[in-house]
Amino acid sequence: MASIELVGLSKVYAGGVAAVDDLSLTIGDGEFFALLGPSGCGKTTLLRTIAGLEEATGGRLLLDGKDVTTLPPGKRDVAMVFQDYALFPHMDVTDNISYPLRIQKVPGEERRQKAARTGAGLGLSHLMDRRPGQLSGGQQQRVALARAIACQPAVFLFDEPLSNLDARLRLEARTFLKRLQHELGVTTVFVTHDQAEALAMADKIAVMEAGRIRQLGTPSEIFHRPANVFVANFIGSTPMNLVPGALFGDRTEGEDDVLVGFRPEYTRIGTDGPYALRGKVAIVENLGASMLVSVQVDGQSVQALVPEGEEPEVDTWVLIAPDPRRVLLYRAGDGELLEASVQAAR
Amino acid sequence: MTTPGAVVRRILFYAFLAVVAAFWALPLLWLVFAPFDANPGLTVKLPDVTLDNFRRLGESPYALSSLRNSVLIAGGTMVLVTGLSALAAYALSRVRLPGRNMLLYGLLLLSSIVTGTAAMVPIFLLMFEVGLIDDRSGVALVLTGGLLPAAIFILKDFMDATPRSYEESARVFGASPFQVLRHVVLPIARPGLATIAVWSLVNAWGDFLTAYILLRDPDKSPAGVVMYTFYTEGGQANLPLISAFSLLYALPVVVLYLFVNRRYGFRFHGGIKS
Repeated sequence: MASIELVGLSKVYAGGVAAVDDLSLTIGDGEFFALLGPSGCGKTTLLRTIAGLEEATGGRLLLDGKDVTTLPPGKRDVAMVFQDYALFPHMDVTDNISYPLRIQKVPGEERRQKAARTGAGLGLSHLMDRRPGQLSGGQQQRVALARAIACQPAVFLFDEPLSNLDARLRLEARTFLKRLQHELGVTTVFVTHDQAEALAMADKIAVMEAGRIRQLGTPSEIFHRPANVFVANFIGSTPMNLVPGALFGDRTEGEDDVLVGFRPEYTRIGTDGPYALRGKVAIVENLGASMLVSVQVDGQSVQALVPEGEEPEVDTWVLIAPDPRRVLLYRAGDGELLEASVQAAR
Repeated sequence: MTTPGAVVRRILFYAFLAVVAAFWALPLLWLVFAPFDANPGLTVKLPDVTLDNFRRLGESPYALSSLRNSVLIAGGTMVLVTGLSALAAYALSRVRLPGRNMLLYGLLLLSSIVTGTAAMVPIFLLMFEVGLIDDRSGVALVLTGGLLPAAIFILKDFMDATPRSYEESARVFGASPFQVLRHVVLPIARPGLATIAVWSLVNAWGDFLTAYILLRDPDKSPAGVVMYTFYTEGGQANLPLISAFSLLYALPVVVLYLFVNRRYGFRFHGGIKS
């Protein structure tokens, strides 16, 4: 059990690229923490820096209050699950799971028993004699998890834990991982580029871009009140509508250069309201239980998610209006959320 | 396929293959038959079966001890080449060194000179200066120098093909660099190591020139050199002895090849089947 504290942590590569840029944040004991961002945002580098596989070029890293900035990876009491799982191909499942114990010089018999117990907990009992090459992707992942659990670390680090699984398995694994983390109660940091994964699993999310944290918060905070246009665009299965304030005339509470943000999920078609716009239906996409309607308003595409059966015909003119309580205003210049406007809308 | 032209082409093609096959097969047939022939010549003929040639070989003062020398020299070379090239290849694969590829290609180019004929005088002088003339370990060292670059080159490919995450995973669990090498890197590169071991052994086993030049005492000479001394009183090549000795000389390598090929499979490129 441990908290993780980053104090002005930086990782600058030899070429001058700052993969992690003066980052400060605290991850609480037992928290399931997601590092979320597009590829190249530095999330994996940050994770590897916490693990000790990359050396920080500035700042400090504290695990459970202890400064570990310069400790080698093996001395930090962390366990990492790699994106490709990194199971040793020449060892069977038992040897893989008990490898950390072998390094800790635990006697062979105790090692095997512990591996068997941990494996059984993850439903691997019938696979203990197999080599990784004879396992499916989901089984390999569970072996990698078992190996991490077997060494009883203070912190788990998962690098894109679900990205090597196929879509259906990924949903299962998501639930499984969340339950596992909850049961073990071990502080866990995981890296993902999939916002849905982060929202579904994490207690807290840090959205990263270019080595910096753009927003830190609970999944619900991040989903409902993205702190800036970048996060607003990145979070949500359909991106947030960001419409120039000019389209609404003088209805945007006196602010001049603003972007009006609202999620397609909170947007209705055919109802009037303070932010209603008129436009022509361009495309209707079937998402199963709901329909994603794209409406052209003055050359700007605005999307609304409507229940199945309520979608308008293509090429008809409609009113499209966000729920006024869900409207967010962003400053056009730097894309930051305007606090005042949020209060006003409530 | 049924046009006369095609049939003729096919016949010619197989005739050509038969000639090529005969070209390679005849010396091997000679090696199989001649040692058991009471009166071997330079042609392949069914033998007048006898084991007399081997008995006479046993009476030769240097024949069997030379095989032991061969084992010592080739075995030593194998251990040195495999061990050193594994360490060097791992380092070169993992450490970003400016001009790394230039270094490798340069070494590779130079290595053909080291054990080649051209450098024999300087090598002789060098070994003379360091006092390794007429010393079997001197021969093994020179052979090692000649084989190392190619061995490093081949092994580096194996190391490159091993994902770093294996090693990083072991490191996070607290493994020391030496443990990472022993538990993870070497086992995964095992087919490569087996290839290098056999390849260096065979090369050293078949060496003539280096040992011929660096060794004085016939007691220390390996089989390749001793075979060169099998003459009759008349100055003719002593074919009964040479043929029997050739067979003994060739067998260990063939057996080794079969064993390693069965056990590990020969590969000259890296790659993980996971």
